[in-house]
Amino acid sequence: MTLRAFPAALALVAATAGAQQPAATAKVGPTLIKNATVLTVTKGRLENTDLLLQNGKIAQIGKNLSAPAGATVIDATGKYVMPGIIDPHSHSMADAINEGSLSVTSMVRIRDVLNPTDINIYRQLAGGVTTINVLHGSANTIGGQNAVVKLKYGKDLDEMLFPGATPGIKFALGENVTRKNSQQAAQAQGQPLRYPATRMGQEEVLRDAFTRARDYKATWDDYNARVAKGEKNLVPPEHDLELDPLVEVLEGKRFVHAHSYRADEMLMLLNIAKEFGFTVRTLQHGLEGYKIASEISQAGTGLSTFADEWSYKIEAYDAIPYNTAIAMRHGVVTTVNSDSDERARRLNIDAAKMMRYGGLSEDSALKTITYNGAVQLGIEKKVGSIETGKDADVVIWSGNPLSVYSIAETTFIDGEIFFDIKRDQAKREEMAKERAALEAADRRRPVVP
Amino acid sequence: MNTRRFPTTIFAMTALGLAPPVAAQIGVQRSRNVPAVYAITNARIVPVSGPVIDKGTIVVRDGLIAAVGANTQAPSDARIVDGTGLTVYPGIIDGNSTFGYPSGGASQAADAGRGGRGGRGGAPAQQGGPAGAPNSLHPVGLQPELAAADLVRPEEDLFTGPQSAGITAALTAPPSGIFRGLSAVIQLGGSSAQAMIVKTPVAEHIAFTPLRNGGFPNSLLGVFAALRQELLDAQHYALEQAAYAKNPRGMRKPETDPSLEALQPVLARTLPVVMQASTAREIERALDLAKEFNLRVILAGGEEADEVAARLKAENVPVLLSLNFQRRPTASADADPEPLRMLRARVDAPKLAGKLAQAGVKFAFADGGLSTWSDYLGNASRTAENGLSADQAVRALTLTPAEILGVSDRLGTIEVGKIANLTVTRGDLLAGHVAHLFIDGSLVEVRAQTTAAASAITGAWTLTVTTDEGDRQVTATLQQVGDQLRGTIQGAMGSSPINNGSIAADGSVKFSATVTMAGGTEEATFTGTIAANVMRGTMAVVGHPQSPFIGSRPEAAGGGRRGRPPQ
Repeated sequence: MTLRAFPAALALVAATAGAQQPAATAKVGPTLIKNATVLTVTKGRLENTDLLLQNGKIAQIGKNLSAPAGATVIDATGKYVMPGIIDPHSHSMADAINEGSLSVTSMVRIRDVLNPTDINIYRQLAGGVTTINVLHGSANTIGGQNAVVKLKYGKDLDEMLFPGATPGIKFALGENVTRKNSQQAAQAQGQPLRYPATRMGQEEVLRDAFTRARDYKATWDDYNARVAKGEKNLVPPEHDLELDPLVEVLEGKRFVHAHSYRADEMLMLLNIAKEFGFTVRTLQHGLEGYKIASEISQAGTGLSTFADEWSYKIEAYDAIPYNTAIAMRHGVVTTVNSDSDERARRLNIDAAKMMRYGGLSEDSALKTITYNGAVQLGIEKKVGSIETGKDADVVIWSGNPLSVYSIAETTFIDGEIFFDIKRDQAKREEMAKERAALEAADRRRPVVP
Repeated sequence: MNTRRFPTTIFAMTALGLAPPVAAQIGVQRSRNVPAVYAITNARIVPVSGPVIDKGTIVVRDGLIAAVGANTQAPSDARIVDGTGLTVYPGIIDGNSTFGYPSGGASQAADAGRGGRGGRGGAPAQQGGPAGAPNSLHPVGLQPELAAADLVRPEEDLFTGPQSAGITAALTAPPSGIFRGLSAVIQLGGSSAQAMIVKTPVAEHIAFTPLRNGGFPNSLLGVFAALRQELLDAQHYALEQAAYAKNPRGMRKPETDPSLEALQPVLARTLPVVMQASTAREIERALDLAKEFNLRVILAGGEEADEVAARLKAENVPVLLSLNFQRRPTASADADPEPLRMLRARVDAPKLAGKLAQAGVKFAFADGGLSTWSDYLGNASRTAENGLSADQAVRALTLTPAEILGVSDRLGTIEVGKIANLTVTRGDLLAGHVAHLFIDGSLVEVRAQTTAAASAITGAWTLTVTTDEGDRQVTATLQQVGDQLRGTIQGAMGSSPINNGSIAADGSVKFSATVTMAGGTEEATFTGTIAANVMRGTMAVVGHPQSPFIGSRPEAAGGGRRGRPPQ
């Protein structure tokens, strides 16, 4: 690390120090990573290769590249470089996850409750993750709107939102929605019971919501047509924040990410989508996806699943670790997700399991945590692989990231370092000192009466 | 003013053989006992609007400041208050409070409205409990037409605490809900609720607190959607009403909606909104929403306002800054150490005002829901030792709140013709020794405050949660701010900030936090009650059975963390 990289380090310290510093306006200088094993994901493995990160992009990939003036040069001999990991199913950074009061809460937006200071951002950077899809929870049939975020810890939220990512919405099917477990308790506490209590009801909720959305769209279309014809003094229809995003789904402008486990409920949703003329972008979890892999493939739908969760609840009894491999062999764009602040830090290991269970190639395994996620979120032109012109979201690993012995050492987003293992050590000492000083000052103060 | 006219009215009525109305009788008694003219002599006077008068006299007549100066003579009809050794300041104005509501009113209002349906035009939800606004079409908590002026009570007991801190007037807003309603500037005392009111409405108040009854919105996510939908509906309402007013024939009469009606001046920027926000991200979210609808914002709380000072300055947003600095929580020896961020916020709280002053952000002090009234001037004084000048601190207690709240033409300084609200102290104001007050021209003796009630919930709780995966120990470090709860949970289910937290007067609490269960990250909603030092309730996680929890916090006496090294 040369001095040049220090401003970024300071920004990082300040951020963990609790201050949301205004975004560093200083441009990040170029970085040349020398002599690494580069796992491009889309174009195979490149040995002894240099990577030039400049102006936030991957500027050059090749051998014996020369460093431009002012570049930071990192010797990565013996190390691996891979694209930043994309987690297609996260609840990190969210100050609220479920608006579970109603069956349809499409009006709520994860964007409204994101916490750019969440420590999980930093922890996931340390696991090589650079982009996450923050989803509403699975409490109700139609949940809220998602947010796709680059983990630029220490920056303002606006700078973290992934520019150009296709907006999405969370749907949920199955047990979490019927919530047999909690309905009785809710009733005992005098809280209102919420429809639906069965999978039949979920289908009805979906059909009802999209029927209302279709009518709402017709009302607006009619109004717009009359305005276009020159009619005066028209009062426009009301805006309905619940139906606006569903109209976007019908128009193909918003992706549906649907929490689902069982084959029957997934087929139900695919049929509803067909009926209303939209495509489900991803089935989230989809543990029984292997049973209907060809149907999922034909629907043009993706699958985002767990590496090896089995039987932790009734609807997960038929889960198998071969789910990913089978779906991929049927042409389904498949990813492995975390759904967990903790597992998100080691998605590389979850990808490696896909080689063990189903015999995926190294590239295919890596795709499940990089490129395929980018496709599912509509950002594959920018991230997901190491190609010239793409965003400089790359991670230097101590060894092959598909090995349990490897750790992420440096994580870049848009060419800027957001995690570095050496700086992390230095920062721990600083924070310990700060805590000691604060506690000393605090001890002189009165306690709560 | 009206009260002083009562005597003649009453005499006239008595002469005619009419029984005076009950309220008027109370007025008579008060008026007879209270002389209308005072002169505070030989006092040091800090007018705030001008230079300090080292020794002078203030004449108060009929509720107003009649004269002030070094050479002013006490008139012959005045009751003399010897000000030797005393300093007179403009009456302190609490920039944002919930004064004047009998206890229980707040939480009941919040808890009413069970079954409030979300989305658009939910059914009125008024089963049991004092309902919100009459005939509202919106659930309790989303009724912007609710007016403090209709709710405040002139009961003396409601004001003795703040009076002991030298507070003579305050902005007061309905104390619960999301759209909380319209605030008023009141004086802390008067013969009737109407006599207390200085100005109404002052602002619409918004807090980002989910409803507690399970109806929409029950999360922060829904709070934003509900606010946005109601503001959009108000915009549409204006269009419909205008169209109907212009040509009612042939148009079905649009439904009258007092809630949407109340939002019209807000959308027109003639009425500001006071938004309650503490952390930097809460402040940013509030400002974003205000920007979306072009609202005129005043920020209340602002515990991390220094981190967004540049934006506050650029967008010309004043801050009603909380003086409710958090005290050190008591924690048991086996509790997890407090997160660095909370520790830092608590220790650095007195530096905040100075940083805002330096950044050019306009701010006034407010109580922020504190319960130990000696903290009010005590903490203002600490800001003056941590970057703020003493003059700036006095200003932020007096003139600046009057300016921000639009009453500086009648309150906030010692000038002839202004309302005679005065805070009289032994020594400097910031030393905190309040001798007495003048409120609306009447002398008020300050009663020593009884020891503050211990906060029902602030502290570090050690909880055991019995989940379907076994018992889990967690430490919940909680802070109460008004009806809101903040803090963190740490321990066997991961660490997370507390979100969406609130507490009602009956000790029922609700908050959510992110927990790790079955290897997955889940949002857990804790609902419980506190009795004595025990909190019990259930934790709800989507996809899991309800998990009971129970726990306690160490008694406050002899508190402090024992025997655990810093980590």
